[in-house]
Amino acid sequence: MSDNNILLDVQDLKMYFPITQGLIIQRHVGDIKAVDGISFSIKKGETLGLVGESGCGKSTTGRAILQLYRPTGGHVFFKGDDLTKLKGEALRRKRRQMQMIFQDPYASLNPRMTVGNIISEPLEVHNIYRTKAERQERVQELLRVVGLNPYFVNRYPHEFSGGQRQRIGVARALAVNPEFIVCDEPISALDVSIQAQIINLLEDLQAEFNLTYLFIAHDLSVVRHISDRVAVMYLGKLAELADRDELYNNPLHPYTQALLSAVPIPDPVIEEKRQRIILEGDVPSPANPPTGCNFSTRCPRVMDICKEVDPEFRDLGGDHWVACHLY
Amino acid sequence: MSAQARAGLRPETEGKIFRPRRTLWGDVWHRLRRNRPAMVGLVIIGLMYFTAIFAPLIAPYEYDKIDLENVRAGPSREHLLGTDELGRDVFSRIVWAARSAAFVSITVTSFGLALGTFFGALAGYLGGWVDTLIMRLGDVLFAFPGLLFVFFIAATIKPGLIAWVKAIGLRELARSGYVDYLVVIIALGLVGWPGLARLIRGQLLSLKRRDYILAAQATGVPTWRIMWRHLLPNAMPPVIVAVSGGIGGVILSEATLSFLGIGLQPPNPSWGAMLFQYYGYWRTELWPLLFIPAAVLVAIVLAFNFLGDGLNEALNPQLD
Repeated sequence: MSDNNILLDVQDLKMYFPITQGLIIQRHVGDIKAVDGISFSIKKGETLGLVGESGCGKSTTGRAILQLYRPTGGHVFFKGDDLTKLKGEALRRKRRQMQMIFQDPYASLNPRMTVGNIISEPLEVHNIYRTKAERQERVQELLRVVGLNPYFVNRYPHEFSGGQRQRIGVARALAVNPEFIVCDEPISALDVSIQAQIINLLEDLQAEFNLTYLFIAHDLSVVRHISDRVAVMYLGKLAELADRDELYNNPLHPYTQALLSAVPIPDPVIEEKRQRIILEGDVPSPANPPTGCNFSTRCPRVMDICKEVDPEFRDLGGDHWVACHLY
Repeated sequence: MSAQARAGLRPETEGKIFRPRRTLWGDVWHRLRRNRPAMVGLVIIGLMYFTAIFAPLIAPYEYDKIDLENVRAGPSREHLLGTDELGRDVFSRIVWAARSAAFVSITVTSFGLALGTFFGALAGYLGGWVDTLIMRLGDVLFAFPGLLFVFFIAATIKPGLIAWVKAIGLRELARSGYVDYLVVIIALGLVGWPGLARLIRGQLLSLKRRDYILAAQATGVPTWRIMWRHLLPNAMPPVIVAVSGGIGGVILSEATLSFLGIGLQPPNPSWGAMLFQYYGYWRTELWPLLFIPAAVLVAIVLAFNFLGDGLNEALNPQLD
């Protein structure tokens, strides 16, 4: 891809977790294929929504992109540099430009550090300010930016509500002025009323600091609200990727269609006519995915070819990508 | 609309209602203070270490001061708890023995804690074959019956240690009773670390998968800093509980060794050695002497156990 607006380019990313057996000598008996060859790119300033059900590999994708897990295969180009090739200090320095917001605001803040220390740690380890006073000032500014009282610096995480904690997590991610943030289900652990606040905050911050998001979620209406483009993931692979409105109005992959048919419509007349597509069976194990198309075991429109040939993930025109033999 | 107002917050009014400022450790202390047995234990422990530090001021006599005029005397104004068969003041010996117990308990615990933290952190954080090696070594040490192993170490290292101390030119030290302390400390420390290492390793294994560790890695926090700032402080609570209970065990082990004659040697003051000495009196009119070191030992070991239980509850409030 030659578009120099591309901030992140993921090519054939694979993340396998080995299954081992044996007490002393660990024999390698198989792999959990959490992410099995996915490719996509994110433009500068864009939000790419990544949806899929629990266990499909969304979070693993986010972590593999940030090299929190070292990918088994593929490449992650961030502003032209292949992150999978970076190691040690070079990678550590690169982390200043990419951050992460976590799902569980109760687990993602160190309970033994004050809010001030949590937010200033990224500043310290990247030597962004010379003096403690400068850092302190920046921390207070960040607290203000995320809508918290700057006087909270000396408090501990347990003194805050879930929504407030998530704001602290956002402030920590923002501290080093990153360009790219992986939002790993940042609202799924919050109350609905708080979800809206955090979503608004993320949108405002994106506009203010020209941030690029990979927004991982399983709530389809939230993803529709915040994303520019949406990718649908199933069992470690991308099923479909398109512009937000295109995907929601014209879903092509049978899995996307089934997923979207589950979203309730807030209009009783239309809701009455909504046809749900109920999928049969369970998601196969990622340790032993089906041959051919990985959705072939549950697809309502399955054909013979689906069970033998893995469909290619290709552009059907207008940047609408789908992996399905129907098209 | 500002970001804050849109997000539904008014920072100017928020935070005006403060609950009393309290740190995490402040909370722990608050809960501990309401636990009566733990506080009684803390007082007894405090008293023991106070006695140990100020033994020369508290004890009316030296621990090895022999007064042949007053052999086997009953309690009196000069000898609060009477004297033994050599005319040594029992009260003074109890006080001086607190110093032995305090010294041994602190050094053994620090020694064990240092080894345990080092090996446990290494095994837990690095994993893989380092983990396997350290833990199997710990298992081997665990496989021996604890006290028997201590006896074995204490008995085997002593001649070598004395020879070594002489070889490096500290003849005086080799002849004094202080080598006995070294023997006890090394024996108990070597046997004590696998339990702590196992505890710390288990803590790290569960902690290193927490989101806040991942967050620190994502931020680019260097590994050593993750260890010191994030992992070890969070691994501390169960270690504190284990150590506070363990100190009582160390004191008891020292007493056991000395009782059996392989720990501190006479005339070094030790409650265990006193138990052994007074054990011979039990058919004589001096039999009450036997109960004095025994009562002190029981009180102190119980005190450490109560404090350990109290700390356990205070550090894990969900146990209530």
